[in-house]
Amino acid sequence: MAHTTAQPAQYDYAIVRNFTIMALVWGVLGMTAGLYIASELAWPFLNYDIPQITFGRLRPVHTTLVIFGFGGSALFATSYYVVQRTCQTRLWGGPLARFTFWGWQLAILLAAVTYMAGYTQAREYAEMTWPIDILIAVVWVAYLVIYVMTMRNRSQPHIYVANWFYIAFILATALLHIFNNLAMPVSLFSLSSYSLQSGVQDAMTQWWYGHNAVGFFLTAAFLGMMYYFVPKQVGRPVYSYRLSIIHFWALIFLYMWVGAHHLHWTALPDWTSTLAATFSILLLMPSWGGMINGIMTLSGAWDKLRTDPIIRFLVVALSFYGMSTFEGPLMSLKSVNALSHYTDWTVGHVHSGALGWVAMISFGSLYHLVPRLWNTRMWSTSLIYLHFWLATIGIVLYISAMWVAGIGQGLLLRAFDDYGNLAYTFIETVQFLHQPYVVRALGGLFFVSGILTMGFNTFMTIRQGRREQAALQAAAA
Amino acid sequence: MSKDKTQKSVQTTGHSWDGDLQEYNNPLPRWWLWAFYATIVFAVVYWFLYPTLPIGRDYTKGIGNEITYTTADGKTVTTHWNTRALFLKEQEEARKRQAVYLEKLAKASYEDIAKDPELSAFVFSRAKVLFADNCAACHQRGGNGVLGEYPNLLDDSWLWGGTFADIQQTITNGRHGNMPAWKGQLSDQQIGDVVEYVLSLSGEPVDADRAARGKTVFMNNCAVCHGQDARGQKFLGSANLTDKIWTIAKVPQANSLDGKRNAVRQVVENGKRRTMPAWKGRLSDTEIKILTYYVHELGGGQ
Repeated sequence: MAHTTAQPAQYDYAIVRNFTIMALVWGVLGMTAGLYIASELAWPFLNYDIPQITFGRLRPVHTTLVIFGFGGSALFATSYYVVQRTCQTRLWGGPLARFTFWGWQLAILLAAVTYMAGYTQAREYAEMTWPIDILIAVVWVAYLVIYVMTMRNRSQPHIYVANWFYIAFILATALLHIFNNLAMPVSLFSLSSYSLQSGVQDAMTQWWYGHNAVGFFLTAAFLGMMYYFVPKQVGRPVYSYRLSIIHFWALIFLYMWVGAHHLHWTALPDWTSTLAATFSILLLMPSWGGMINGIMTLSGAWDKLRTDPIIRFLVVALSFYGMSTFEGPLMSLKSVNALSHYTDWTVGHVHSGALGWVAMISFGSLYHLVPRLWNTRMWSTSLIYLHFWLATIGIVLYISAMWVAGIGQGLLLRAFDDYGNLAYTFIETVQFLHQPYVVRALGGLFFVSGILTMGFNTFMTIRQGRREQAALQAAAA
Repeated sequence: MSKDKTQKSVQTTGHSWDGDLQEYNNPLPRWWLWAFYATIVFAVVYWFLYPTLPIGRDYTKGIGNEITYTTADGKTVTTHWNTRALFLKEQEEARKRQAVYLEKLAKASYEDIAKDPELSAFVFSRAKVLFADNCAACHQRGGNGVLGEYPNLLDDSWLWGGTFADIQQTITNGRHGNMPAWKGQLSDQQIGDVVEYVLSLSGEPVDADRAARGKTVFMNNCAVCHGQDARGQKFLGSANLTDKIWTIAKVPQANSLDGKRNAVRQVVENGKRRTMPAWKGRLSDTEIKILTYYVHELGGGQ
């Protein structure tokens, strides 16, 4: 009972195009900022004693631009595209959708500028000061309304699985953002504010937010992307409907509990720690459910790996998703965490998820999307292959460097000699980090070169699309 | 594999979206399901063994998982499993290993340490971290110091004395070194002369006449601290000017005689104040003893 495909004209593609372009713009800027701070850690003179570009200020610029600028815009773009096509209806809201675009871009820009000027709330991944938080909350509620209304208008009896994930992501992010940012401004004209909670409760709220930002923003939402673009690109049905239901609800239920595993070995009560650790273990298989569903969808079409670079991006993304969701529960066990906590292993883990899963699935999806949005084909397929290899090599360098750095650092910091004395001084652990930091920066250079290649290829594709359009119109006239 | 065969027989759910999006109705993979059950079993066992469920203002403590440890002030504590107790237990074990040597060390004289290879090995192991965390910021990790600012501890030139007692005194109570500024006190001519004299003491090929005049200036102004023989006096921390070891003037960095003259002139004209902070109260007596022995062994202790 396949429905006829609706004509593209009935869909709102302009908003999708805007978000797609901004995803790439923020991606280039955010990853370049990341490369720069990675280089600062390897060669500290790069601070140049300019406060605005020191590690402490540029680091939130990097994370905000890549997570919310690049990731967020990619999610807006793909979710607006997917919801229209799978509900077979035009995006609801018109000007309200435009508002989500401009509001979101403004929030990212203001965040980056205020961080560099030294204004921060000092909550990881939520450093924005209170006026920006309010702007984000308003944009997000508009996003939710647009999404729900579009789904209500659907001319399909059933809601496609990708939309479950997108709606879960939008709902949970609204909840997380609002509760984590409850604060009292010092005054109406001050960017500073007091957090509603204090002490360990404050830390707990922050990491409830922090880990669910990973769970819903960086995982559930990108699984939504995966559930549309993988079967679309492969041209095969999703492997298992039943698996998608089970792993969806298991993820939604379990993720909310695990934030406290970021606070092992602190003032947090041990029972809270235990619950977080065990729920993290329980999350392993539900996470893998998504990976299996994606990879098994490909089964029977493996030959396409040879001919379709986009499928390579998607498969590598799923593999890294599987790897980092195995690594995560492992690191959440208290005994492993005693070694890994406060070391670069954590940083490596985050990046195997962020570069390997989030960025790779976004690249694959955007390469699928761009030619359809501008009604042409990608300007260069070889450049997609080049991007694939640059990105993959970059990730491998990055992650292996951070494993060496993190595990080494963890072992050095807690090594005792035969006399019961600490075997290494702090400065020795710092010196040890230099080499892995250089390799990490090199990995970052590869990855940034990759997205620059993509930016160039996309620019040429858009130009080509416009020329073809103009030629068509000329011929028609 | 058989997967492909089963897939062919498996039906889709019958829905389709956006033209060709469909879903197979495959069952959950068996291995996936069993692995999921295994993680549930793991979690439940874990909940019984460790602190887990909050009940009212209390929580379940875990079964058969007690930890006994002794605190730094000698109290023995038995408690249910918790991360703080694990940490204290680890500290206790390190303390036990150290205690053997620390007891010996408290009673040992510096000469005793030197005679006992195991004890001195302990001192070096402990001093390495103590020195790096407390002293290296100024004296540098290897103890070579920074010329002009922080004394080099590797050579056998000691401003404040290089015996065990002197070094212990320096670390415990700190030192204040003060070379006064002579600009304005002495004429430009006199300063130039005394610079020639000081350089002549290190065998530099200087102007002999000026050096001779400089000697008079030196005897009238400088000798009160640096001594008639210019060998310095350790109770004032004044430098020995005859040993070719420069502690403040950047003579070793100068390439020419004029460069050396300038380096010495800088110090005579502007003087130099330096402070070694007191570590009493910040480091224990034993720790000071360990550092004293270590610093003494670094350079040519006396």
